[in-house]
Amino acid sequence: MATEQETRRAGVTVRSARWIENLSETQFAYLLLTPMILLMGVVALWPLARTFTMSLRADSLFGAAQLGQFIGFDHYVALLTGEIDAQLTRPFFDPGQPFRSALTVTFIFTVVSVFFETVIGFGQALVLDQDFWGRRWLRVAILLPWAVPIVIQGMIFFLLFQPGVGFLVEPLQSVGLFSSTPTASSVDSMIIVVVADVWKTSAFMALIILAGLQSVDRSLYEVSKVEGASTWQRFKTVTFPLVLPAVLVAMLFRTIAAMRIYGLIETVSSCSTVPSLSCLVVTTFGARQYATAATIAFVTAAIIGILVSVYIVKYADLEGGGF
Amino acid sequence: MAGNQASRRTFLGGAATAGLATGLAGCTFGQVTGAGGTTVVQLAAASGSYQAQSDINEALHEAGMPRDVRVSISVVGSSQAQSQYTRWLSAGLEKPDLLRMDSGWTIPFILREQIANLSESMPDVAQRIKDEYFQASVDTVTAPNGDVHGVPLFSDFGLVLYRKDLVEEAGFDPSGWATSPLSWKRFAEVAKQTKDRTDAKHGFTFQAMVYEGLSCCDFNEFMTTWGGSYFGARKNLLENVGERPVTVDADPVVKANRMLRTFIQGPDDSGALEEFAGPISPSAVLTWSEDPSLSAFTNGDAVMHRNWPYSLSVAGAEDAFGTNLGVMPIPYGVRPGEAQFAGMGGTKSALGGWHVTMNPNTKRKDAAREVLRAMTRDSFNVALMNILGYVPPKPDLLTSKQARSVDVLGRYVDQLELAGQNAVPRPATVVWPLQSPRIAQQVSAALSGDKSPNGAMNDLRRILEDIEHSAREGR
Repeated sequence: MATEQETRRAGVTVRSARWIENLSETQFAYLLLTPMILLMGVVALWPLARTFTMSLRADSLFGAAQLGQFIGFDHYVALLTGEIDAQLTRPFFDPGQPFRSALTVTFIFTVVSVFFETVIGFGQALVLDQDFWGRRWLRVAILLPWAVPIVIQGMIFFLLFQPGVGFLVEPLQSVGLFSSTPTASSVDSMIIVVVADVWKTSAFMALIILAGLQSVDRSLYEVSKVEGASTWQRFKTVTFPLVLPAVLVAMLFRTIAAMRIYGLIETVSSCSTVPSLSCLVVTTFGARQYATAATIAFVTAAIIGILVSVYIVKYADLEGGGF
Repeated sequence: MAGNQASRRTFLGGAATAGLATGLAGCTFGQVTGAGGTTVVQLAAASGSYQAQSDINEALHEAGMPRDVRVSISVVGSSQAQSQYTRWLSAGLEKPDLLRMDSGWTIPFILREQIANLSESMPDVAQRIKDEYFQASVDTVTAPNGDVHGVPLFSDFGLVLYRKDLVEEAGFDPSGWATSPLSWKRFAEVAKQTKDRTDAKHGFTFQAMVYEGLSCCDFNEFMTTWGGSYFGARKNLLENVGERPVTVDADPVVKANRMLRTFIQGPDDSGALEEFAGPISPSAVLTWSEDPSLSAFTNGDAVMHRNWPYSLSVAGAEDAFGTNLGVMPIPYGVRPGEAQFAGMGGTKSALGGWHVTMNPNTKRKDAAREVLRAMTRDSFNVALMNILGYVPPKPDLLTSKQARSVDVLGRYVDQLELAGQNAVPRPATVVWPLQSPRIAQQVSAALSGDKSPNGAMNDLRRILEDIEHSAREGR
């Protein structure tokens, strides 16, 4: 009896081992990926689905329940038409006050900060790609801001622009750039937050672009030199096209992070002064408007998703569809 | 191909062994060791209490808390407490056992049945709270059916601190200011002239950052002394959501804005209030909450300063200004009889203060109750007054000999009593979390000169009406 069972068990093992061994390379790859895909489904897709179902319910301000009755897409309609604006810390979208409505603030921040980070990061990477004495120390120096925690970074910039404490307030006010209380003004604070972000994350761009630069085949430069190409021509025809995929990947990462900006704003200024999309999610969540918070979170995720696909399409074009 | 398949088998075998090993390690190291002989009750409170943890425990033991119970403070910043507690209690956590809650937002937790009912579990303590404590404080910890849901820990009232030495140097006589409030006009003159005649940098400092403190307290105070109100008559502050009038564009509210604008921008500004002295306040007030504004005062930069009673024990300490620190009630804009809205006008102090409430899911109910019981003893209130400068939430105790003998704070008991009698609550209804940031934004815009006082208050009225309207529909 026992031997029969053992044989059967052994038979199952042998059969499954054989089944695995007979899988094609692709099938085997998918088999190995299955646990990861399941895990991703649980930690990424389930919360997203749950957020979505929460967003279809009403807010429950009065009762003991966390959420109100099912209301379908009412929150989405109210959010996109501006009906809900009064119940948010700042309006969701109001082109009349671009520095005080969440969508415009988030877009302005993303476009401006990613632009400057790319340009400065590219410049730094080009410098670091050269051979010179002390290069490794310069690399460390450029990377240092990247190692500063967000809260410390926020405090540094908060104090720099705090009247009576920071040394930057009076000179910037006297030349007419800033008001006397920059951290309380929406436009000034936005500029400070952008500068703080560029200061910190240009290093990240530089690092990824540098990796791209170092993988460029050096013999291409020698060929172009022999051909008599100028420095600009070398950059335009060799460096830039070859490093562009790396730049796009770096920009993709930065864009996603920039669209989610929150911590820096809270430490430098406040969500009331510089309202980003994440700010609205946090403030509505704090005011127990769970369904509204879920709606804004879902819309934010959708906007980020759309932006990401733009990059992915662009990247696929470059790679000839191999992404 | 054969080699490839063999390596697959090795890989799977390796993965299985690793998984088993990890699982076993989890069993071995996952055990929890039991606690020692004393029961530790966790209290979520601000960092000040954390630093005074051992003094607080000593005071609690003296007030009758059993020796085998100890309170451990876990720090939750005052500004994060509300949303943090909402998350903890909604998730049904069993710790912290006790929560320090702002009197301004305890009621929503009561209505959602997220904190324990003391009238049911400790009727004697609940009765003592009703009998002995400031009525205004008790109201903010009581359910609509009259059940008490927490122990008021201390009361807070807005006050004006000033430098007696500087004021006298400038030729003013401050005797009588302690209990007979000044008018804002006179106050501004004194501040301006003292600033000009001494080496003080600022005349008057307060808190006008875009935060809860501006809408609940600083501006609420200034506005009500002018006879204004967010929602008409005083009875509307805590009820009638959706049906009450929004009155932030009324004349007294606009006047309060213009007065503050004169303080910051000076009398020549387009939004200034006629015949008021200025500028007496730095524009930095627009970025200040309590602590930054207090350090500017204790540094010796300012003549007058609006703050809570905790600041008295800081600024009145021997190594600070000592007896040179004067304290007076908040000045008035109009007399109570001349106020546009019932219950407003005259000197008014924003009502603050914190309660201690019990997490209904706690596993240490008996010990937590002992802590709460000890917290209602007079000896504990007086000890807190000594340790942290917290004002006892009991009117009789506040004016008692015991309280008057407390170092520093004991000197200002009369001012505290007067402020307590004139306390005005914030309109902490269920829609207040939505309204508060919008009020702070618009007031800040009016004070900084971004908007005209009239324009800002008109915008604010529209926003608040919108919120009231949506609350009525939501119900």
